[in-house]
Amino acid sequence: MMLARVADSLYWIGRYVERAEHMCRLADVLLNATLDRTESSGQVAGMVMSAITDGHHDAPLSPWDAALAITMDSENGGSVTAALARARENARQVRDQLTTETWERLNLIHLRVTGEGAARDFSDAPSQFLHDIIADLHLFKGAADATMSHGEGWGFLQLGVFIERAQLIGKLLQAGFGRNLGRPVTEHAAMTALLRMSCALEPYLRKHTADIQPTLIRQFLMFDEDFPRSLRFSTARIEEHLSSVGRNVDLGGGAGPERLAGRLKARLLYADPKALGGEESDSLVATVLEECARLHEGIYDTFVAYSLEMRLPA
Amino acid sequence: MRYALADPSHPSGAHAVAVTPYDEMIDPTGEVRPHYAALAQRVASLAEEDLAERQRLLERFFLLQGITFTVYGAESSTERIIPTDLLPRIIPATEWATIEAGLTQRLKALNMFLADIYSGQKILMDGIVPRELVLGAPSYRREMQNLFVPHQAYANVCGSDLIRKPDGGFAVLEDNLRVPSGVSYMLANREAAKRTLPGSFRMAGVRRIEEYPDLLLSTLRSMAADWRPNPQVVVLTPGVYNSAYFEHAYLARLMGVPLVEGRDLVTHDNMVYMRTTTGLRRVDVIYRRVDDDFVDPLSFRRDSSLGVAGLFNAYRAGNVVICNAPGTGVADDKAVYAYVPEIISYYLGEDAILPNIETYLCREPSQLSHVLANLDSLVVKAVGASGGYGMLVGPHATQAEREAFAEALRANPDNYIAQPTIQLSTAPCLIDGAIDPRHVDLRPFVLSGDKIRVTPGALTRVALRKGSLVVNSSQGGGSKDTWVLGEGDGLEARP
Repeated sequence: MMLARVADSLYWIGRYVERAEHMCRLADVLLNATLDRTESSGQVAGMVMSAITDGHHDAPLSPWDAALAITMDSENGGSVTAALARARENARQVRDQLTTETWERLNLIHLRVTGEGAARDFSDAPSQFLHDIIADLHLFKGAADATMSHGEGWGFLQLGVFIERAQLIGKLLQAGFGRNLGRPVTEHAAMTALLRMSCALEPYLRKHTADIQPTLIRQFLMFDEDFPRSLRFSTARIEEHLSSVGRNVDLGGGAGPERLAGRLKARLLYADPKALGGEESDSLVATVLEECARLHEGIYDTFVAYSLEMRLPA
Repeated sequence: MRYALADPSHPSGAHAVAVTPYDEMIDPTGEVRPHYAALAQRVASLAEEDLAERQRLLERFFLLQGITFTVYGAESSTERIIPTDLLPRIIPATEWATIEAGLTQRLKALNMFLADIYSGQKILMDGIVPRELVLGAPSYRREMQNLFVPHQAYANVCGSDLIRKPDGGFAVLEDNLRVPSGVSYMLANREAAKRTLPGSFRMAGVRRIEEYPDLLLSTLRSMAADWRPNPQVVVLTPGVYNSAYFEHAYLARLMGVPLVEGRDLVTHDNMVYMRTTTGLRRVDVIYRRVDDDFVDPLSFRRDSSLGVAGLFNAYRAGNVVICNAPGTGVADDKAVYAYVPEIISYYLGEDAILPNIETYLCREPSQLSHVLANLDSLVVKAVGASGGYGMLVGPHATQAEREAFAEALRANPDNYIAQPTIQLSTAPCLIDGAIDPRHVDLRPFVLSGDKIRVTPGALTRVALRKGSLVVNSSQGGGSKDTWVLGEGDGLEARP
């Protein structure tokens, strides 16, 4: 049993924390790419920009300005600091539901990135700054995993994490391979950058060795069974957590978001990666993004903003 | 480090007599009082940097826990920690026994008073307390008349403010029976003190306060109707923007009950439910941290969005219990306060164990003229205000401030009471690296449900500005941990 508002906040904490971590990686890769004076740095910058703006960026920023905006811009709701501030604000509202260990980690990151020295730390050593945030966020997730009860609240937190993750990786796939978004990534450096942004470089090398190929990267990010950021892995977790939090809801005969989650999981589970061409892959990614958005709404309608008439005691 | 007593030639008006305040640590001959000896010795052995380091540790603990309040500025808002002092205030066992007996007696009588004025009103018939004083008070709730309150426990949580007078005796400055706050600081200060001064803490033999959340939960459960097995208790908060939000979340977490906002609750058929992920769930007891005016827009303020429409009717129907009961504020009204000793002897036939501060009711013409003539030595308070607002500290005010206040007094004398300026006792505090006396008060927390429970500890509030007598956190006050010593005062633990 848990308050609807609390479940909603936990879900959003999951989403914001995942978003902050992802944006840190994007900014870091972007800054790294500027160090090489090659063609590929332009490709990387273009990829990052279209991943975060859905391809609608009008005035192209310099890589440094873009990295700064992704990290520190408080006006930009998708920036690292904004996401962390919102995660922490949500955590404050459900402070009674988080263990002290979990709360302290999140509060600490927030205090550091919004502290007085933060802007200076970033410009002095951006890589270190971003790396520290990622490490702290891993501590947060670890503390949550180790100290929170893995019950309903945990389920909503994880739902937020995996829905956000599936969407972010989906957008990255679109930015890297999408046919309608300019030139697909071909340069070796750009391809490794793509893997780095998905935190997938090392797991990929372990599986496919240093044979870096667009098709293999795409297959890996979409269909790998064990890699925790692949679409297949994320959608399987979404289905799992949704069926556990939805166990006690009486939907009065309706199917709710669980059916959607099950179908989405099946799409990736039973797809034949080898038979999928570029266009089919594109449309599968688009479907995943669209169904994640519908899941997001379905979760809200089913668990948080349900109509009272349906649930009044008989 | 050296510690010197407060200067007796305190800024004071023409009529005020310079009195040396009681110091918690040093007696008038300059000797350290026995219950402070161990701490004084320990502190003396620490270098200035060691103390500063411990103070930093303390502040970090509060920041990390998120024990902060938000200061809203024009463009941005910043979070600050409540100023907290490193050095604890120590109360020996014998003194605590008096405080405990006094508070128990007082709350018992005040609950009987509330039960009486909301039913037969015998005390008004007998002319002990003036009728218009009670029925005319803005905090009197006609809606509470003849409503059944279990155990006659109207004020389930009470936080009275005590002060120590220059002669060393404790007195009650005011009662807080509405939604008293500060208990989380009592608990957090203790947690911090155990980290910053572990050795001294162990040596002293301090009584435990950590059971407070358990006792609060038992108290709240005892208020539920006895036919409801496993009553559902919730804490109702105005929300995250309230300055005491940390406390609401803290208590909910330590009691293991949901922290709800008004929008989480709905009423249906005079029952109260909370919206959970799996549907509606019945609520039995609401520990509300929302003022009377805001609990139910249908019964009280219509523009309130913090409360729950229909809550009061559910309460009247006996399907939910609101703690503290609405309307308890009438018993901590600053004018009714003057009658508490009479209230105690009327209901219990006993003398008050803890005395009141002498109080002038400006509604009486003779007392008003006395107050106006002595504004420079008195503290004048608005009856309905709290938190240190609407208050004049005569000796510290300018002539212009006094004149403006005199104007307000003449215009609406019913609204004011006056008390002599009491030199609150002083306790050693770490200020800018030096140990210096500052004025303190004491807010212990008393619970009443099926029985009255006093937690052996308190929030000691500190007026951090030198010479200031105002301890409210909204007016530059801070706090410190309060150690109530066990039997034997822990002295035998010393070699």
